[in-house]
Amino acid sequence: MARYHGFEGSTSRRDFLKLAAAGAASASAGATWRPRKADAKPAQITFMRESSYVKEFDEHFKNVLIPRYQAETGIKIVYEIIAAGGSAVPRTVAIVESKAPVDAGWVQQEWLYREGLLDVSDIAKDVGKQQGGWYSEIEGLSVWEGKWRSVPFGNIGQCMVYRRDWFDQAGITAFPDTWEEFLEAGTKLKKAGHPYGMSMGHGFADNNSWLLPLLWGFGGQVVAKDGKTITLDSAETARAVDYVRKLYKDACLDDCVGWLDPANNKAFLTSQISCTNNAMSILISAKRDLPDMGKVTDHAPNPKGPKGRFHSFVPVTHGIFSHTPDPAAAKHFLRWLMDPKQVAAWYRSAQMYHAPFLHAYDKDEEWNKEPRFKPYQKVLETGKLVSWPAPADRRAGEVVNKWIVIDMFAKACTGTPTKTVIADGVAGLKQIYG
Amino acid sequence: MSTNPVLEAARPATRAVPAGRPFRLREWLEREAVFSWLMLTPPLLFLLAFLGYPFCYGVYLSFVKRPVAQPATFVGLGNFVNLWNDAIFWQAVWNTFRFTAAATVLKLVGGLGMALVMHQNFKLKGMTRALLLLPFIVPTVLSTVAWQWIFDPGMGMFNRLLMFFDLVKQNQGPSWLGNPTLAMVSVILVNTWRGLPFFGITILAGLQTIPDELMESATIDGAGTWARFRYVTLPLLMPVIFIVTTFSIIFTFFDFQLVYVLTGGGPANATHLMATYAYSVGMSSGQLGMGSAAALAMVPVLGVVLLMMSSYVRRA
Repeated sequence: MARYHGFEGSTSRRDFLKLAAAGAASASAGATWRPRKADAKPAQITFMRESSYVKEFDEHFKNVLIPRYQAETGIKIVYEIIAAGGSAVPRTVAIVESKAPVDAGWVQQEWLYREGLLDVSDIAKDVGKQQGGWYSEIEGLSVWEGKWRSVPFGNIGQCMVYRRDWFDQAGITAFPDTWEEFLEAGTKLKKAGHPYGMSMGHGFADNNSWLLPLLWGFGGQVVAKDGKTITLDSAETARAVDYVRKLYKDACLDDCVGWLDPANNKAFLTSQISCTNNAMSILISAKRDLPDMGKVTDHAPNPKGPKGRFHSFVPVTHGIFSHTPDPAAAKHFLRWLMDPKQVAAWYRSAQMYHAPFLHAYDKDEEWNKEPRFKPYQKVLETGKLVSWPAPADRRAGEVVNKWIVIDMFAKACTGTPTKTVIADGVAGLKQIYG
Repeated sequence: MSTNPVLEAARPATRAVPAGRPFRLREWLEREAVFSWLMLTPPLLFLLAFLGYPFCYGVYLSFVKRPVAQPATFVGLGNFVNLWNDAIFWQAVWNTFRFTAAATVLKLVGGLGMALVMHQNFKLKGMTRALLLLPFIVPTVLSTVAWQWIFDPGMGMFNRLLMFFDLVKQNQGPSWLGNPTLAMVSVILVNTWRGLPFFGITILAGLQTIPDELMESATIDGAGTWARFRYVTLPLLMPVIFIVTTFSIIFTFFDFQLVYVLTGGGPANATHLMATYAYSVGMSSGQLGMGSAAALAMVPVLGVVLLMMSSYVRRA
């Protein structure tokens, strides 16, 4: 019998085909994700979260909460961690689109895919009732068409983080209360070799968290409350743009116009800047790794403008993907997680890094352990969703993710006239709002 | 199919199953046509599943309005019309062309130089060649994070060197990733650094195929170093250079990771490439239709390059 030249020897063509078929079968068996039967007890729940900048938070979840739930129910929890730094939204979009085997998780920017989330009104209402009620502003994100599509968790507050020693040396004994005073102080500090570092690049939080409050403080708005009328082109916006240009030139490190989110942490912790806008992670890192710096680092609320003092939320909410094969099991886990027996210790494990949206924690003793964290609690009172005053819908998400407002300010800082940058911003908004 | 009579004689007399004989699976599998298709089918299915299907789905998406988690609505060329009127898209197009052209030229010139040096005999040549491959081997995300540190205005190596040579004062060095022009220069530099070994090693392989006799003849005829390079080495390297440049254009045009990690397309879209823009529209903003249209807009360029490549290979 003739054999194909290439297979003369120990392996016949037939052997090869058998081997290939067996390999393909075993590979496909391993890769298959089969939905569970409705009446079967779920073997596991996959819960997805972005890794926290405070490692104790993730460790508490992994080492305390997961084993406890597994011991109580016999259901395995698979914890899928996504690297922090902006990849969580694309990953969640991909999960919703491909119906990937993830049951629940931190649903960042859920306004982009609320249709892919289960109604969790029963859990959200019960948790709110049980724990002092929700801060009303967060309902603008979690409630959509009358139903809760996510259960709020906490706000990663964004405040001014500054070097108290350098401010003192420059004769600035109290942190500036207004944006004008902030500019004045920054000018002095830059001359003394300690510039500010205010992020204006294509990041996801540290840029919006001061530029939007500044715009609102000056009286500017991106889109009106009706969610249709573009209101960016105004004298107030022009004043805010001019202010940021001057602040950048007179008070900031040149590099900050292109910074992604980790850059200001790095610059602060390497003593390159005297002030930035960030979560409390800088102080937590400094206290842990650079104790001397930890002693002289302080926090302050955003300065106020002619129209008041504002902060923007970086909200954390949990939701359940509607493609989960076992909604009841996923809901049971989420309800269990938000029970005070679990959630209180989880909040505290990160020193209130995620400021609870529940009023029951307003006077929690954890807030008194580090007085410098207090401004982050206050953000809950003055904080707005980044879409404010417009509804937090899909289009608002697109504005944020295309950096329309951020780039308006960044372009002004790199030499483009105010009128042009506002016109570019409006053109970008028209692409989205029509 | 070979027509060589010797090979034909060596081929088994017939593979057809004679009429009247019972069908035997084993004999059927031994047939050339059957076996070759059996071998071809797995890679074909793989390509169809992981290249063909996503591509066709991408083409379909580009003609629909398709926000994530919502049903699709046919919009015809609506997404492309929107892109045509989108200033950020055009900035990304312009950035992509500048980035590709500059990085490719730098890689070509640098890679040619690298190959000529590596073609010489010197001590530790083997180790040097291996080390030069490092940029190509290290994962892009990892090396790009290292470059972030190198570009750091206060702690970075570049500005430290400038300060060391008294070219700038402390804290007054250039902002490599903050200045729009320098940010583009920086991403081009990193892409060049990463892509140089590909050019260098491939051109070196081409250099090693040039017979020494040609060089010796040219030398005897009075050709100097430059003349030998210009009239012997370069013409013989042209096929390799053409192929490597074509591949590099494709890789560079579609570059994503480097810019995504280093600048995110900023500052103020100064380094946004078509790939990063398509990603930000499609995945970060959840506009799958528009994102697909932006990604698909890159295909005509790829098509032209592939046509050039295949036409050259055919002529060669």
